Amino acid sequence: MIDETDPNGDLLFADRLYKTYPDGDVHAINGVSLRLREGEYVAITGPSGCGKSTLLNVLGALDRPDKGEVYFRGEALSRRRDLDHFRARQIGFVFQSFFLLPALTARENVQIPMFEGESMPARERAKKADALLELVGMSKRADHRPNKLSVGERQRVALARALANNPSLLLADEPTGNLDSENADKVLDLLTSLQKTHRLALLVVTHSDEVAERADRVVRMKDGKVVADSGSDLLPTPDPAATG
Amino acid sequence: MYFVSFILKNLTRRPVRTVLTVLGLAVTVGSMIAFLAISHNVNASAEQAVQGFDLQVMQSGKSSGLNSDFSEALVERARKLPGVAQVAEGIADMADMRRSSGAVDSVLILGWKVDNFGFENMKILDGRKFGPDERHVVLLGSMLAQNLNRKVGDQLVLGGDTDHPYEVIGIYDSPLIFERGAAVVPFKDAQEITGRKGRVTGFSIRVQKTSADNPDEVETVRKEVEALRDPEDPTVRLTAQSPDTFVKSLQQLKLLRAVAWLVSVIALAIGIISMLNTMAMSVLERTQEIGILRAVGWPPMRVILMVLGEAVLLSLAAAAGGTAIAAVGLQGLTLAPKVNGFIEPHIHWSVVLLGMGITVMIGLLGGAYPAYRASRLLPTEAIRHD
Repeated sequence: MIDETDPNGDLLFADRLYKTYPDGDVHAINGVSLRLREGEYVAITGPSGCGKSTLLNVLGALDRPDKGEVYFRGEALSRRRDLDHFRARQIGFVFQSFFLLPALTARENVQIPMFEGESMPARERAKKADALLELVGMSKRADHRPNKLSVGERQRVALARALANNPSLLLADEPTGNLDSENADKVLDLLTSLQKTHRLALLVVTHSDEVAERADRVVRMKDGKVVADSGSDLLPTPDPAATG
Repeated sequence: MYFVSFILKNLTRRPVRTVLTVLGLAVTVGSMIAFLAISHNVNASAEQAVQGFDLQVMQSGKSSGLNSDFSEALVERARKLPGVAQVAEGIADMADMRRSSGAVDSVLILGWKVDNFGFENMKILDGRKFGPDERHVVLLGSMLAQNLNRKVGDQLVLGGDTDHPYEVIGIYDSPLIFERGAAVVPFKDAQEITGRKGRVTGFSIRVQKTSADNPDEVETVRKEVEALRDPEDPTVRLTAQSPDTFVKSLQQLKLLRAVAWLVSVIALAIGIISMLNTMAMSVLERTQEIGILRAVGWPPMRVILMVLGEAVLLSLAAAAGGTAIAAVGLQGLTLAPKVNGFIEPHIHWSVVLLGMGITVMIGLLGGAYPAYRASRLLPTEAIRHD
């Protein structure tokens, strides 16, 4: 059962989250609780529309829950007024469609989050971007724009961008969804390697069994609820008042 | 990468739209700068024209020296007033000047006596000045002489009297644009040409001063001059003004200033609408990208700075282009004989700065709403935007 009295001790603790979108009365997430430890790799799986991406957005402070609380290292996110700053410093995002800025080179794309990271001169930002691109095996393609990169290369650049401010948590939404199997394997290898070498907590939303197989834990969702969690004693306990 | 480099890259990704926006704005800003420059130059020239004396006298209630008209007797009475050191009366009016081709131009005629203060600023480039008793001679301003292609020794018809042509006896240069495009004739001739026998359009006064800066002495003379009445036409009132006040009161200059500002306001409105349209389109097209920027931690203020930065850079480019367009336009305008005696082509730095300031304001105001909209985008919704 969820230990509601002790949200501390984890990197992330989601306590009974609810989210309903205004254009419908479907609960996108319905009483989800989740714990994520430092350096842990968790995969969230489930059918389309089960609320995986919504949960990811709420956990990454991109969206606010209607009810419930997300604690990051014991601090409630709802009490923070600087969620932009929090995202910039603590969270790295990787999206299925990469979302690189088309006018910028790979090196420049990686620098985009750094404007809100630790203060450093432009030259240092470029140096750091080069180091990150080398880390993901893209140093030779640093001066290329996204339209000159393969989809696998784009995702690797996006991964370098996600690491720009040395985050503690990497959130990935279907990171291999747009890749062929060869590129998917490469990106996955990279993700797991970075997770281990950087002691990153990694939360991946995926339909892919291969992605899920590599995770320390697999959380399965259905209809906005967590229905299985392979490595945790946390089970959903929906708030009766909220669910009606 | 610098933040400003990122902004520049955003502008260069759609070069055609950027160039067209800058060009459209530059034409608008250019017309504004040109009008402001004309207004500034005319004003500066008028201010320069009235230096060197203490009071300018003209008929009260008239919009300018050109339609002022009163008896010469009043000048003589002013000359005898205590405290008056020197008086220089004159005629200033537009008159027809016939070209050899038969075409008639309307030019500014100045009718002066030999001791008129105006001669002090003039430099005779060719020929000579006229003597006290000379008649039917004319001095041409350098610009007018060039336009008419006349030189010393030529003859021309002034005011339509073909039986008594005027001989060009000198070509002069003057620091005043009006005078460079004008013709100076003997005072009596000007009275004939303009049909003002025994009358003047105005006069200037130098006051006897015990110290260099004593406004009371000038004020005393001013009141005495304004109290003068013409017994034959007591309705005529005179107004005596200091040079600065005189320039500010000239209706033509007021009108020119008003037109310049009206054009500026119209340019401002057009520019803001144009900028608003461009930036709104740009933000709409980049909704998803802005969502990404917000997702990776950019706060709303940085998004606002990005959009406003783009708008201001567009504006600065437009201001530079507009200044160039205005400079070329004014040079082109001075080639037209009808106006080149009235327009100086240079653009004073203060006008350039003013134009830049207004253009930056266009950028900030036109970019404000799109910037606000961009900053309010929710990252999750913006990322889903197609």
